[in-house]
Amino acid sequence: MESTSNRSQRPPKILITKIGLDGHDRGSRVIATQLRDAGMEVVYTGPWQEILAVVKLALEEDVDVIGISALATDHLLVPKLMDALRSADLAHVRVVVGGIVPPEDESALLMAGVSKVFHPGSSRDEIVSDMNRLASEARSR
Amino acid sequence: MNQEPMQLPLPGFENARATWQRDYSKHIADDHAIRNRSGIQVNALYTPHDWDSERYMDDLGFPGQLPMTRGIYTTMHRGRPWSQRQLIGLGTPEDYNRRLKSIFKAGASAISLIPCNSVYRGYDMDEVDPLLLGTCGTIVNSVEDMDIFLRDIPIDQISAAQNDPLPFTLLAFVLAVAKRRGIPWEKVTGTSNQSDYISHFVANHMFFRIALPGSRRVLTDHIEFTNKHVPGWNPVSVVGQHMQQAGATPAEAMAFTLCTALQYAEDCMARGMAPDTFLPRFTFFFDISVSFFEEIAKLRAGRRVWSRVTRQRLAAKDPRSWRFKFHAQTSGVDLTRQQPLNNIARVTLQAMAGLFGGLQSLHTDAFDEVFSTPTEEAARVAVSTQNILRHEAHLADVIDPLGGSYYVETLTNEMEQQVETTMAKIDDAGGMYKAVESGLVQTMIGESALAFQRQVDSGEQKIIGVNAYQVEETPSHHAPLKRPDPAVTATQLSRFKAFKQSRNQARIRAALDTLASAANSENENIFARVVEAADVGVTHGEIVACLRREMGVGQPLVVA
Amino acid sequence: MSTGSNSEATTDLTARLLRGEPAALARAITEVENETTEMSAILRATQPRLGKATIVGFTGAPGAGKSTLISAYIKVLRARDKTVGVVTVDPSSPFSRGAILGDRIRMAEHTTDLGVFVRSVAARGHLGGISRTTARIVDIFDAVGKDVVIVETVGAGQSEVAVAEIADIKVVVCAPGLGDDVQAIKAGLLEIADILVVNKHDLPSADTTIRSLKAMLDLRNNNRDAVQVLATVATTGVGVNELAETIESKCTMHRPTRSPRTRIRRVLAGIAGQIVETHLQDTDDSAIDAVCDAVQRGDLSFESAAQRLLAERLGR
Ligand SMILES: Nc1nc2c(ncn2[C@@H]2O[C@H](COP(=O)(O)OP(=O)(O)OP(=O)(O)O)[C@@H](O)[C@H]2O)c(=O)[nH]1
Ligand SMILES: [Mg+2]
Repeated sequence: MESTSNRSQRPPKILITKIGLDGHDRGSRVIATQLRDAGMEVVYTGPWQEILAVVKLALEEDVDVIGISALATDHLLVPKLMDALRSADLAHVRVVVGGIVPPEDESALLMAGVSKVFHPGSSRDEIVSDMNRLASEARSR
Repeated sequence: MNQEPMQLPLPGFENARATWQRDYSKHIADDHAIRNRSGIQVNALYTPHDWDSERYMDDLGFPGQLPMTRGIYTTMHRGRPWSQRQLIGLGTPEDYNRRLKSIFKAGASAISLIPCNSVYRGYDMDEVDPLLLGTCGTIVNSVEDMDIFLRDIPIDQISAAQNDPLPFTLLAFVLAVAKRRGIPWEKVTGTSNQSDYISHFVANHMFFRIALPGSRRVLTDHIEFTNKHVPGWNPVSVVGQHMQQAGATPAEAMAFTLCTALQYAEDCMARGMAPDTFLPRFTFFFDISVSFFEEIAKLRAGRRVWSRVTRQRLAAKDPRSWRFKFHAQTSGVDLTRQQPLNNIARVTLQAMAGLFGGLQSLHTDAFDEVFSTPTEEAARVAVSTQNILRHEAHLADVIDPLGGSYYVETLTNEMEQQVETTMAKIDDAGGMYKAVESGLVQTMIGESALAFQRQVDSGEQKIIGVNAYQVEETPSHHAPLKRPDPAVTATQLSRFKAFKQSRNQARIRAALDTLASAANSENENIFARVVEAADVGVTHGEIVACLRREMGVGQPLVVA
Repeated sequence: MSTGSNSEATTDLTARLLRGEPAALARAITEVENETTEMSAILRATQPRLGKATIVGFTGAPGAGKSTLISAYIKVLRARDKTVGVVTVDPSSPFSRGAILGDRIRMAEHTTDLGVFVRSVAARGHLGGISRTTARIVDIFDAVGKDVVIVETVGAGQSEVAVAEIADIKVVVCAPGLGDDVQAIKAGLLEIADILVVNKHDLPSADTTIRSLKAMLDLRNNNRDAVQVLATVATTGVGVNELAETIESKCTMHRPTRSPRTRIRRVLAGIAGQIVETHLQDTDDSAIDAVCDAVQRGDLSFESAAQRLLAERLGR
């Protein structure tokens, strides 16, 4: 039986989710589908996840990258998520944020450990290649 | 609606047409089909072959007359300019009150409040992460907040559009304030802008508070209550905007909106209300994309369909019931972060499409909305855009100025057909309520959103600065972030807590018990109980929580 | 076949796994799901601990309410202080091989409950409603002491009988209005069902579905324990207590026949089958070709050809 495979060959596993108050899910649905079409395995949730729920989810699913879709000001909570991930020993998991994020907030997010902020208009190719790169970074923990 | 090309009694027409066709093919050998966002093929040229004024009375008629294509009023913008409704909502109730007064000095008579997202989600300020408080709108949690908000504002002289999803606590607070000031409810006018729970369930989940069956009941109660006690109030605004922003094509958005309105009307009729008692107070709200002619055709077609279904399906007799009154907002979805000043051009086109589409009221987006809450300068440009269109470009001088255009009339007919095809699908699924309950609508919207994204990704749909004509830019066009001062938020929070403490707790408990029992009874009006509760000081969050407990939490149907 | 590496890291992982650390559990599942070199070592470490959990499979047409029902069932289990492991399987796209894993959306009620561990996996082209390694993931949950392990199969409407191999109790979920009651029978789902649930009993036509299912069961008149037909409303929890009771009592009925050896034999049979299948179908081997030709000529029966291949080509 051909049973062994290299860990880096498995499809990236991504969590697409929303925290905070906003509930618009067009962006996260489109992204989830695009990532699937790029060969990734995408765990998808509804909006308004608690930070602790996201951490538990990321842990159980052993995801490589968490994508937070934030349309209003919900990205302000992401630094709290980063802290929670670190305390759960999940510092290797890469976090990206997609949505309307003002420049000042973007630098704050990057400072807090977010790997990348995708703005409206980011191309599919850019997102897919960044996600692939981040997933393999997460795996080489 | 496309009939066989008729032989036109125009001497030389056929010959000239054949010549043009031949020459055209010579110049453009492989003329690929162009389709608009709704999937309708757009030809290079439209002539009397496609639409001809023989159809004038069937398709158009006169403004204010059936089939309403040319507008719902006799005089349209010439008689009464559209209302310019700009949204405001940042800071504390005091800030808001100051802003409101300055807007009034500038001559506005219609206001529209944006509450904080915590309010939208149905929470009081002591229930959410303080980091998010007041970052996207004003916090209004109680009758006390509303009182500050409306200090020195003549409630009976303004028209207020409340962004107030059910159970309509904001309107309840306004009614309580009016009562305190001795203003009769008959004088309170405005619109419950966010009453369309179906669109919230499908697309704007943040506003969706109570599970579907409960939402259905509360909205019907609200319509019944305002009908009787606040007759100048529009209890229903059906929001096509949410559907379109979630990805529905313009034709789909129009179809879903009309089906939703039919659903609400049928629910009222099932209650025993006569159509002509509530339909004149139905209003609509559309998103206008930059797909210029398509949007114009969408709005003209929608008007025609509404005037038909109200008569044929709802048996409405009063002409006011046939009128498709709508507010429109230029679509933020089309705006780009790249080369943001380009957004001014986009908003101008969107606004023009809305005006030519015959809107009653208009909100123009600020060009910098893609970054955060608009700066003052950008907000001014947005308002000026409307004024320029009206006073300098004279777009309001002629009623339905594109009426009779071969293209616009053909496209209006084709859009109408598309709208009806989609409406038939919803009818087959058992009506809008059932179609969203089962996820049919969500799936359709998801597919359209993805299809559009694929066109952008492939470059088939060009977006300037995004996938075409990009330039190197250094981010510049945004003002420093305006975030609420934490100290101010903290003060508001402690005032809120003090307010809660100071209330007569027994009365609060009694009001909540009454509300809960109304939710569990068959024949009590829930909104009437909401109004009473607001009056004795029950807060927004307490009211929503009570109804969520009794009727189920509103969870969107997540369609992956 | 790999014998597995016994690197320090793997030893550490298995130790943490057996101590019950959630992160190690998640990681071990990843190794097994992806059949990495660490897999064998992890599985061997878990083998002595198998056979304690109750394994319940939920299968049925797409949208029947499997995930919602599982969530409601978990609620009952948690009220009884049982710990739960869940594997949900979603289909992979045949084009991109990617997948959207959305079952746990319906299990939102348990998002912060540490007594519930949910893992979503993609079928990755494997047929039968589960992924190739689902059974091993179930084993890991069993080994770390989950009281109940639940498997949700792909709701693809295809024959999803593979879950019968792993689950002690097979729950087949139907719903009115999906037209799947008849389809379920076609797909052979009825044969594997221990419990038939007609979910969405709040919908008007549910009773008709129940009646037609019962009629069909009567027609079959088979000898095994009567299949029970239950009605539920997964969204409100109606009927779910009864479902939990039925699962429990069916399980105690089956228990005595379940010795570790029987289970291991069943697993071995499955794996051996997979090995044989891979070998016979995918290996370039002139001796196999020769046997095929002999069958083609009529010199050998299928039966003896298979025996011969087993002995000669696979008997090393
Ligand atoms: N009315 C009603 N709806 C239900 C019930 N149970 C589930 N649903 C709804 O049915 C839809 C599908 O439910 P799921 O639990 O996702 O179904 P599933 O079988 O897991 O679906 P797949 O995993 O996609 O095959 C959801 O919208 C549920 O809310 C029920 O008892 N009554
Ligand atoms: Mg499921």
